[in-house]
Amino acid sequence: MKKKHQIQTTVNGQEYSLLIDLKKTLLEMLRDDLNLTGTKKGCDEGECGACSVILNGKVVNSCLVLAVEADKAEVLTIEGIHRDGDLHPIQRYFVDSGAVQCGFCTPGMILTTKAMLDEIPDPSEEDIKHYLEGNLCRCTGYSKIIDAVNVAIKHFK
Amino acid sequence: MEEYSVVGKRIPNRDSVEKVKGSAIFIDDIKLKGMLYGKILRSHLPHAKITNLDVSKAQKLIGVKAIVTAKDTLRERFSISPTWADKRVLENEKVRYIGDEIAGVAAVDEDIAQEALDLIQVDFEELQGLFDPLEAMKPGAPIIHDSVENNISKVIHLECGNIEEAFGNADLILEDTFTTQAQAHCSLETHSCVAVYEPNGQIKIWVNTQAPHALRQRLSLILGVDASKIHIITPFVGGGFGSKIDLEPSQAISVLLAKKSGKPVRISNTRKEQFEVTRIRHATISEMKFGVKHDGTIVAKQAKVIMDNGAYNSHGPAVLAYNNVMFSTLYRVENIKYEGSLVYTNKNWGGAFRGYGDPQASFGQEVMMDMVAEQLNMDPIELRLKNANNPNETTANKVRITSCGLKECLRQAKEASNWDEKKEKKSKYRGMGVASMTYTGGGSKGSGLNFSGATVQMNPDGVIHLLVGATDIGQGSNTILTQMAAEILAVDPGTIGLTASDTDTTLPCMGTFGSRVTYCAGSAVTQAANDLRLQILENAAEMLEANIEDLEIKGKKVFMKGSTTKLVSYAEIAANSFYKKKKPLIAHGYYNGPEVTEDFDPISYRGYPSPAMVFATHIAEVQIDPGTGKVDVIHFVTAHDVGKAINPLLVEGQIEGGIAQGIGWTLTEDLKFENGRIINPNFHDYKILTIKDITKITPIIIETIDPNGPFGAKGIGECAMVPTAPAIVNAIYDAIGVRIKDLPATPEIVFQGIKQKELR
Repeated sequence: MKKKHQIQTTVNGQEYSLLIDLKKTLLEMLRDDLNLTGTKKGCDEGECGACSVILNGKVVNSCLVLAVEADKAEVLTIEGIHRDGDLHPIQRYFVDSGAVQCGFCTPGMILTTKAMLDEIPDPSEEDIKHYLEGNLCRCTGYSKIIDAVNVAIKHFK
Repeated sequence: MEEYSVVGKRIPNRDSVEKVKGSAIFIDDIKLKGMLYGKILRSHLPHAKITNLDVSKAQKLIGVKAIVTAKDTLRERFSISPTWADKRVLENEKVRYIGDEIAGVAAVDEDIAQEALDLIQVDFEELQGLFDPLEAMKPGAPIIHDSVENNISKVIHLECGNIEEAFGNADLILEDTFTTQAQAHCSLETHSCVAVYEPNGQIKIWVNTQAPHALRQRLSLILGVDASKIHIITPFVGGGFGSKIDLEPSQAISVLLAKKSGKPVRISNTRKEQFEVTRIRHATISEMKFGVKHDGTIVAKQAKVIMDNGAYNSHGPAVLAYNNVMFSTLYRVENIKYEGSLVYTNKNWGGAFRGYGDPQASFGQEVMMDMVAEQLNMDPIELRLKNANNPNETTANKVRITSCGLKECLRQAKEASNWDEKKEKKSKYRGMGVASMTYTGGGSKGSGLNFSGATVQMNPDGVIHLLVGATDIGQGSNTILTQMAAEILAVDPGTIGLTASDTDTTLPCMGTFGSRVTYCAGSAVTQAANDLRLQILENAAEMLEANIEDLEIKGKKVFMKGSTTKLVSYAEIAANSFYKKKKPLIAHGYYNGPEVTEDFDPISYRGYPSPAMVFATHIAEVQIDPGTGKVDVIHFVTAHDVGKAINPLLVEGQIEGGIAQGIGWTLTEDLKFENGRIINPNFHDYKILTIKDITKITPIIIETIDPNGPFGAKGIGECAMVPTAPAIVNAIYDAIGVRIKDLPATPEIVFQGIKQKELR
């Protein structure tokens, strides 16, 4: 019999009470239990960053976090960062800079960018590369992603 | 140069907003009521006969709803062409690589499906595995496919002019051997599908494919079902690069499981599975021989290529054909000899991968060109300019070139990279290298088919809707095709509704590959849009009691020229047509070119029919760390002849993405095989570029305005992957005098090269 655990968690500002299998990952909880499918499964072993979400203010690979760790915690996913129906500036700049091709890495890339700017408002190029190194993209070659991030930095200064 | 309102503008991908919001639906996001999860039992042996297959224990596991084996199939073989068909979707006789599908299980969750796999009993009689094409070709080697002698799936011979005489007349002859390794596509989204089998026999399958219409035909063959009963929908695709073109056995298996269980079935590859069992780039061994005159004229060139097919054909024969055609077409050389052999081994099947045999051809050829330049004491760019193709020429291998900007690419790349200045002021361990390429810029009709269809209609409210068979895999075809329609119909592209890549509603398109969508789907779209534009004008002329010549279109209204009051809107035209005249406003376009002449020989691939060839030059600047052998690519200057850039922002995206994959192939990506098993099936051990490895790229778009391409456009999708490796490797030689002839040029290899040089 699978062991389950009752958790209280806040996702994108909304509170949930969920009965969670102990071995379920945060990624699976978000996608399957809460139907928040914007967070993607790219490798399920913490190497591609497609599953990046922000947990208590820190960006994590949600495939490496047990869902029960979200108990009494706050989670922010791609679905939660827009502002009153408008795109978040980071989302807007990703669109305008041509940083989106297939779009599979995009949610993770945007969340990591947000986490970085929340921590360091004026990151250097070194900082950008350090933060985003764990988010793989096979389509863009990263050039326009860096363009988008640079525009976002200017915006928030 | 003609100025357009919408074509040529830097417009972001029209799907970008959905994607940044996370609301774009990918296959794994689809959940259907009662959906089951499928898993596949695959061979763990590279070469074996199956002597026993017993699924009874697995069937008894609670939660298992269906199991299928070869017995549930028609045992048909498939490939991208019926003549090359050699793979079944499920095997119960013989397995030929680690990954061959033996059984499929559908269960209520993935864990139970996985558990069921462990309960399936399979007995094997192990056979000797062949992992090196040179070993596999030897007489007496075990045969992988019955009746395929020496495991050679295909041989291509091409000879132009008089090769022996030409080499006899050469002032200088150079010969060398080059090898290139396999490569994994590493799309961020793995292969995935959801299949539904209705009680009335209708099949619906959501799948991340690059070619839904072709897939429909192939599934029809495998399942023994009329194609019209199969509905394929491709919402979004998380990267393809060629990996998602063919029929993937899991797609057929999911349908079989859906039929047996009566429930929808999803099968998604894990990342490990994706690395371990899916197709890879064909590895090659190329012996090349060039004969040149002192003045730099290449009088003869020859290539003998052995291409590792892996266990099954997939695209192999066509990739070998492209390897031949691209080797033979680049540069004006009258005497050419090409011998290529495609050899089966017990490893992952080689498949379509960005560049399709051209990166392999380009690597050897462009390093040879540099070796020739060195021997002749000639600048490598000058050597290439001397032999460069010209517009409106037919090559010695009878390939028709229409527009051609190769010389312009060479000149502009040279200037933008400060080539002369940097070559003069050389600093230690820094170097620059050049390489050029050619490729098909509109797919090809080598198989007899190169079709793309489009429908453009005006809805009763005056809004334009475009339906195309072409699939957007992130490259932006949805965006550029609506741009083309918008230009012709004088509307904002954002107002055009779009349906794409749905076999029930869109005209067939062969698929997204061969860098063909801009040209072929674009040709269909412009055809349809021009037809609809004429219908609009005819209706307006009737309504305004005017002649068509006196009308002009602006802002979704048709005006009498010179008047601001005598006009009729698109909405009025539509209402008039639908409700008064009772006629819809709809037009179709269908492209299937070019005309194939008798110059084309499908055996030697002489006269290979592409509607347009594209060209490019890359110049790489590298800095090498002598202590570690690490190669830092500092700058890539790239000039691409694309005919006409429908959307320069998206063209740059293809160039930048292609270069990243090219750098990976050259320096860091290496699939490690051990007795047929890939031992680095993850992102940690198989290294694709991260954002830390990014290089500065200066993309130069050369517009030669092809006479036949839509708005003069040609393709770009694969091109940037082609000359990257030789450009880097030539730069390494310029930096440290170490000639790399085998990929990848890992730090170990470069370091060893430096040490060996020091010892001399």
